[in-house]
Amino acid sequence: MGANPPTRRRVAIVAMLSIAGLCVAAVGGLVIGPTSISAWHVIGDAFSRVGIGHSRLSALQSTIVWQLRAPRMVLGLFAGAMLAVAGGTYQGVFRNPLADPYLLGVAAGAGLGATFAIVDVGHGPGTPTWTPLLAFVGAMTAVTVTWLIGGRSMRSNAATLILAGVAVSSLLTSAQTFLQQQSTGSIARVYIWLLGSLASASWHSVWMVLPYVAVCAVVCVAAGRALDVMSVGEDESRSLGVPVRRVRFVVIAASSLGTAAIVSAVGLIGFVGIIVPHIVRLLVGTSYRRILPISVIVGAAFLVFADTIARTVMAPSELPLGVVTALVGAPVFVLILSLRRPVAV
Amino acid sequence: MSQVELKELSVSVGAKALVANVSLAIEAGTWCTIIGPNGAGKTSLVEAVAGLRPPSHGSVSISGRLLSEMNERERARTVALVPQHPVVPSGMTVYDYVALGRIAYHGLFRAASPDDRRITDSVLERLSLDEFRDRDVITLSGGERQRMVLGRAFAQSTMVIVLDEPITGLDLRHQMELLELLKSEVAECGLTVVATLHDLTLAGQFADRLVLLDRGEVVLDGPAAVVVRSDELASRYGMNLRVVDVDGADVVVPVRR
Repeated sequence: MGANPPTRRRVAIVAMLSIAGLCVAAVGGLVIGPTSISAWHVIGDAFSRVGIGHSRLSALQSTIVWQLRAPRMVLGLFAGAMLAVAGGTYQGVFRNPLADPYLLGVAAGAGLGATFAIVDVGHGPGTPTWTPLLAFVGAMTAVTVTWLIGGRSMRSNAATLILAGVAVSSLLTSAQTFLQQQSTGSIARVYIWLLGSLASASWHSVWMVLPYVAVCAVVCVAAGRALDVMSVGEDESRSLGVPVRRVRFVVIAASSLGTAAIVSAVGLIGFVGIIVPHIVRLLVGTSYRRILPISVIVGAAFLVFADTIARTVMAPSELPLGVVTALVGAPVFVLILSLRRPVAV
Repeated sequence: MSQVELKELSVSVGAKALVANVSLAIEAGTWCTIIGPNGAGKTSLVEAVAGLRPPSHGSVSISGRLLSEMNERERARTVALVPQHPVVPSGMTVYDYVALGRIAYHGLFRAASPDDRRITDSVLERLSLDEFRDRDVITLSGGERQRMVLGRAFAQSTMVIVLDEPITGLDLRHQMELLELLKSEVAECGLTVVATLHDLTLAGQFADRLVLLDRGEVVLDGPAAVVVRSDELASRYGMNLRVVDVDGADVVVPVRR
């Protein structure tokens, strides 16, 4: 790459390729699995539902596609999109390349909440139905406490907020570990939840997270221009007319709320929030007006792709999704990093 | 009515007063340079004038309006700042950087209007930055970079520009060029300049008025020719200073005791 930031043309190409990848990942999420189903039959079935042509899917195939795989695929799209855009937003608002959506305590808070719920039922099978609710409450409580400690006072800046997040996270993680050790019978289930999985996805969980993801992702993407200005630092952005504190509050609130909703539905899926925005940044440059919308698409495609691998390579058992995201994401990231001149945040 | 008016301005951090009880009235279309030894409170003073530091006492008003009663956008359309150590965001083009000055006009949720783009273009041209417009900001040399930061301030289309040590780290030619550019804006557009400078010779040659600040207080305030010749100036710096007339220009030189 020369001395010039990427051109519009290259950004357009990257955007179109991402959309194509998203379509492939989405269809793949529906047709790939132990029961192999033709992509054309699935597409034909989708059209037949709006009155065009006839479906060639059997009733069983139709159930597998639309009641098992489809909600899982859609939840994966939401989770990937939200985690990626929240991670990119955090990297912008904190001007820190290591920021991920879990930075301010969302993961630790959700983990503690979920552990409470799982430990509470003792030796029963599966995770109780109120796990998402407790995880969500835990996540939002953690971020709120972090904000009250590090983000409220006039002299606070991005660094104090990050440090407050570290403190809150370690406190809650130690509480979670203690609770987990006290109840040896449920360690395995707690552990599985912590690694994150889309296995329990249903249309119900999709509808539950939809409003949060829709609103929060839109707010994050809309903040792109503000984050671009804020790349010159807090004082200079203020002198340029940006109400830095207000922008920071709104953007952090949206990213955290969306992340908390996703985490409560699918557990702690790591790596998407940090790797996807960086991959996108290497391809389209440092402007958040480009990074954030493209991260939504790439994040969604990436997570559905990773989940398809997670549920097929060792079928009928599943790989933890967090393991696959890192296993696939890290080499891709390293490859792009070595091909391109590194770009600072 | 003065363009910039400081009334009994104090700026404190904790119990320590960085600027103490400063009152100044600066006329429109003039250049006022704040001089003083390190730690005199120059940066705090100009940051207060730019509205970045809330006064602990007193007030700053520009064009008769109190800065404290403006929101961020209004303030950015009233006074622009060229900071001492500007952040250079790698990956941004020179055009986009200068266009940041228009944010206060088109806002955070709307694209730049044709007017905004026209003003950005004219600033790039005026500061001879046109050839760099698509370059990454980190590829510019020190002189070009500082011109670009000045360009962003010009793009804010304010009547007052505040500069904190704008020529630090530039070679002599670039120092003169930058100050001449600014001087022509003062002459042609009636711009009001409030700057801090360490170089007393350049401070004296470019400013209409010099204000000597020491320990947060105004010690001397007057026409440049008078201030540079004052014994008080030398004593505040704790140095032996001589003023030499070179073709009508005052050159301030330190002499070893």
